[in-house]
Amino acid sequence: MFRWIANFFCPPKDAGIDLKRRHVTAAAVMGIGGGWLFHAQPADRNADANSGVRETAPNPALIRPPGSLAEAEFLSKCIRCAECMKACPTNAIQPAALEAGLQGMWSPVLKMSVGYCEYKCNLCTQVCPTGAIAKMPLESKQKVRMGLAMVDKSRCLPYAYGKTCYQCQVQCPLPKKAIWQEDATVINSAGEKIAVKLPHVDADLCVGCGTCERKCPVTDQAAIRVTSVGETRNPQNQFTWRDRYSG
Amino acid sequence: MAKQKSSSAVRLRRVVQTVFLLLFLYLFLQTAFHAGGTAGKGIDFFFDIDPLVLLTVWLGGHVAAAALLFSLITAGITLIFGRWFCGWVCPFGALHNLVSSWRGATTKQKIETGGYTRWHHAKYYVLIAVLIAAIVGANLAGWIDPFSFFYRSMTMAVFPAINAGLQHFFDLIYRWSPGFAAVTTEPLYRLLRRYLLTLGQPHYFWSMMFGVLFGGVVALNFFRARFWCKYVCPLGALLGFIGKNPVLQLKTDPALCGDCKLCLVDCQGGANPNGQAPWKASECMYCWNCQSVCASSAISFKFEVPGGKK
Repeated sequence: MFRWIANFFCPPKDAGIDLKRRHVTAAAVMGIGGGWLFHAQPADRNADANSGVRETAPNPALIRPPGSLAEAEFLSKCIRCAECMKACPTNAIQPAALEAGLQGMWSPVLKMSVGYCEYKCNLCTQVCPTGAIAKMPLESKQKVRMGLAMVDKSRCLPYAYGKTCYQCQVQCPLPKKAIWQEDATVINSAGEKIAVKLPHVDADLCVGCGTCERKCPVTDQAAIRVTSVGETRNPQNQFTWRDRYSG
Repeated sequence: MAKQKSSSAVRLRRVVQTVFLLLFLYLFLQTAFHAGGTAGKGIDFFFDIDPLVLLTVWLGGHVAAAALLFSLITAGITLIFGRWFCGWVCPFGALHNLVSSWRGATTKQKIETGGYTRWHHAKYYVLIAVLIAAIVGANLAGWIDPFSFFYRSMTMAVFPAINAGLQHFFDLIYRWSPGFAAVTTEPLYRLLRRYLLTLGQPHYFWSMMFGVLFGGVVALNFFRARFWCKYVCPLGALLGFIGKNPVLQLKTDPALCGDCKLCLVDCQGGANPNGQAPWKASECMYCWNCQSVCASSAISFKFEVPGGKK
């Protein structure tokens, strides 16, 4: 037994793994250099949620699946196995290009142009083998914010064109709708007064699931779109006015 | 040369490899929405027994999911049985094994290219870089971990392509003649629909790139048998390191060896089983091919405490 252990650390010549010392050093330097370089990217400056300082703007397109850990922890655990992408019933979870920096390449991001986060589903939290997406019962998952939907008034049919549309309000899956409607009168191109319902997002209710964005009748770039602001997992990616001006 | 009958150990290995490959594909298909809003059971199995995943996740965050601790069993068995995992369990390895068997090289070429080379070192350098990067906070293992690579390629390229292809095929027949399709292909289609095809066609950004990458890695087997396993795989490197002094050892009896080099022909790891150069425990995948092919029965696997008397 002792011989076995000794042999493990000092193997006889020719029988072990005869690595060249300088190549080992080169590989180690590449590992360290690579890791450090990744930390030097802007994307990383928001990764450390505990730093207390918001140094660069978070990426609005970096919308992680529900239950994802804070970015630094997430990236240290995610192995890009794509189980969440296979499991996602709406195909919304897609491999990241550079949304999370080069070190986050192929990690999962939600793309509302392809799908949306189904309110009654938590498959991605069930399947993640490393816990980068934490296990979550459905009730907890339904409270996680992935981001926040915002109405683009220059594209929204009632706002910009005086046409009646309430898709986003109808499609919102939350029990208490996160989209409320303002009764308003707008003027169309013929100068006629038209009664419409203007959609507004309730920032306190919206979880950023993207159902409204996916179902919006403005098909190419939806008139209501989710960005990552307000996501539960990142205290640095919140509206800052609350703290500064409203106490 | 007429193909000799493989030994029972080799046949057993093939059965085990097939079972694990099919299990991998089954679990892959199970990763989907089931009644009651649950994903399939046990679908993380291969990641749970992957010590590279455990190690990089732990190095990066100093915590790891409890289920990943199953991989310690893999590591423990590797201490005794060497890289058995690569030769018997790994589904990606089984795929490479299968494709390598279609390689058209001559016996002479196989002998010349099948031995241990300095390129075998490459995977250890990959492993070192990945582990060091994990320590400084960038988990890159997923890009190149065999299960991640295989699973990801299946998710993003292979499965969507199969799904689209089959769908297209059945659509074509149906459009050509619905009546003909109803009696011939539709029952098969219904069966596939139930067990294989998805309701909607899966789409992924970059799927073409993942497909090309996967195809390229598989095609490398035609250049060198099990190219990925021998030169690239960081999990293979990790298991090679853990299993560099296995208790189960290959012994070549110089008194019996006729130096025909047949054992080198289908040596999967390039581990020098022929007794001329020292046997490389870290490269041996315990495929038993050498023992099976040896006409003079000079090769055997024996339990022996390493570091004992020569």
